[in-house]
Amino acid sequence: MGQYFLLNKANWDNVLTTFLTEYEIYAPLLYNENQDYEVMTKELIPEIIYNTPKPATPLKTFFLPVEENVTDSNESFKKRIIIGIPNCDLTGLQLVDEIYLDEEYPDTIYKQRRDNTILIGTDCHSIQEHCHCTTYGINPYPDTNHDVLLTINEDLVYLKVNSEKGEKLVEKIPGDYLRKPTETQLQKILDARENIRAQLNDKNKDLPDYKETGELIRNSHNGIWKKYADTCVSCGACTAICPTCTCFLLIDKPGFEKIRHLDACQYPAFEKVAAGGDPLKNLSERFRNRYMCKYVWKPEKFESIACTGCGRCIETCIGDISKNELFIELKSE
Amino acid sequence: MNEEKNLYKPIEAKVLRVVTESPTIKTFVLEPEEEFSFKTGQFIEVTLDGIGEAPFTPSSSPLVTDKLDVTVMQTGYVTDRMHQFEGGEIVGIRGPYGRGYPLDALYGKEVLILGGGCGFAPLRSLLYNLEAEKDKVKKVTFCYGSKNPQECIYEPYIDELRKIDNFEVMRTVDEGDEKWTEEVGVATVLLDKVKVNIDNSVAVVCGPPIMMKFGVQKLQELGYPDTQIYLSMEKNMSCGHGKCGHCMFGKYFVCRDGPVFRYDEIKDLPDIWL
Repeated sequence: MGQYFLLNKANWDNVLTTFLTEYEIYAPLLYNENQDYEVMTKELIPEIIYNTPKPATPLKTFFLPVEENVTDSNESFKKRIIIGIPNCDLTGLQLVDEIYLDEEYPDTIYKQRRDNTILIGTDCHSIQEHCHCTTYGINPYPDTNHDVLLTINEDLVYLKVNSEKGEKLVEKIPGDYLRKPTETQLQKILDARENIRAQLNDKNKDLPDYKETGELIRNSHNGIWKKYADTCVSCGACTAICPTCTCFLLIDKPGFEKIRHLDACQYPAFEKVAAGGDPLKNLSERFRNRYMCKYVWKPEKFESIACTGCGRCIETCIGDISKNELFIELKSE
Repeated sequence: MNEEKNLYKPIEAKVLRVVTESPTIKTFVLEPEEEFSFKTGQFIEVTLDGIGEAPFTPSSSPLVTDKLDVTVMQTGYVTDRMHQFEGGEIVGIRGPYGRGYPLDALYGKEVLILGGGCGFAPLRSLLYNLEAEKDKVKKVTFCYGSKNPQECIYEPYIDELRKIDNFEVMRTVDEGDEKWTEEVGVATVLLDKVKVNIDNSVAVVCGPPIMMKFGVQKLQELGYPDTQIYLSMEKNMSCGHGKCGHCMFGKYFVCRDGPVFRYDEIKDLPDIWL
């Protein structure tokens, strides 16, 4: 582990084509200006977008679909490879793992999907308008929770194994395809990373870091939440596309079956009890709750970070609410 | 825990009997299809097939493992339907979940228990447990408040408790009637009358949020430190194992970290009585 290999892009595409017989492969494709994961076919493999943030769908959705029957799952758990995952999503999956692979109550469906999935992370070679991973101490290249790292430079594919699963996959690549990169080639990868990191740091220099954000939120006054929640319509889009939001609702079906459906603290009555009590009755309280959860409460309870700076919640908000503007305003007060 | 166990699939339990405790409260005696044990204060999820699921803390003795009671106030979608049960129905149960009453912290102490309304349900389980281990506690004082005499539940059990040497029961109702001979007033008025050595006492409170709020205030006035007050916090527990998020309570998941909390653990959280 820890060693880089390189191969020609055309050979990599051939390798992926042979993998199709054994694995279901998901990789990002470009649609107009957006990209998202698609199931790969031989014809689509050359169209995969590499090193470009970021697929619209967060990684969590592969392991926790929006809706599924959790009491009668006969899923065959086909082996999957997911290609092109940015580090914000890999890091986000750490928290999801912590919750769903909990030692006392492991979620067996989640675990089987995790076990049967190979994660190929990728360096980001550009940034999107709302990317701010480095603000929260997260690198714009895979450094955690992936099986193989992939980055492309000058039409050469660089791979680095990061787990046993990844090692077994790379072993399947014909040996004569693989070469060791030169020092100069490796340096180019490192330079690209530093370039992106510098761009991110510069772009987000006014943003408080993760810990400071937590303190600011903890000590905040109600007025700011009311102000920023003014255009919130409780649609829950920010939670649906968040790589770490995984709250759910259980829906009963005859035969003592349960359907797990993605839920959100942004929806009315999320915490309402039968007797009528509802701590999140007001919209601005629900709005604030999400930030309390991500920056104050989750850090007290879990080791993994609960916001990875992917910026999707800002991109998706139909009320044009930017949490980053909110945090900068809080900091300036 | 067995890794293969499905976390969401309930086991079936038959409703052996339905006991009407008050106009709004019924007890359902359940016989699970397999042995099912819980610790006092832990809760279970009861599924009405195809209808819904709701959390209840069993009101029976944790020392009995072939059947268990849940005492349910008619207050919502699932409980409305439960109240139509006549016996013989099959429900689903999952659990037990969470952290129950801290028996170790009660041993050797004078235990002051404050209950209100249907909050007697979990406390009855605790009282059964303490009754079975009465030599391990110095004294048990149970203060119970209810809206009116008709809403006072577990009447026969109250009589049993009053016969136990080191147990004392005091009751109050918000509004009495001509037959009522005990106190009148909100539950906290009983706390003015209790005789306990607070330095060697632990208080346990379970009831409607408003009662718990003023109960805690009164206990503090009496001199109970926050670390000697235990509360049952009822939230919208759904999955039971800290995943679905519905019972998030500050940094806690009530389903795993509670439902019983020591007051000092939660007192700084916002809106705890909502």
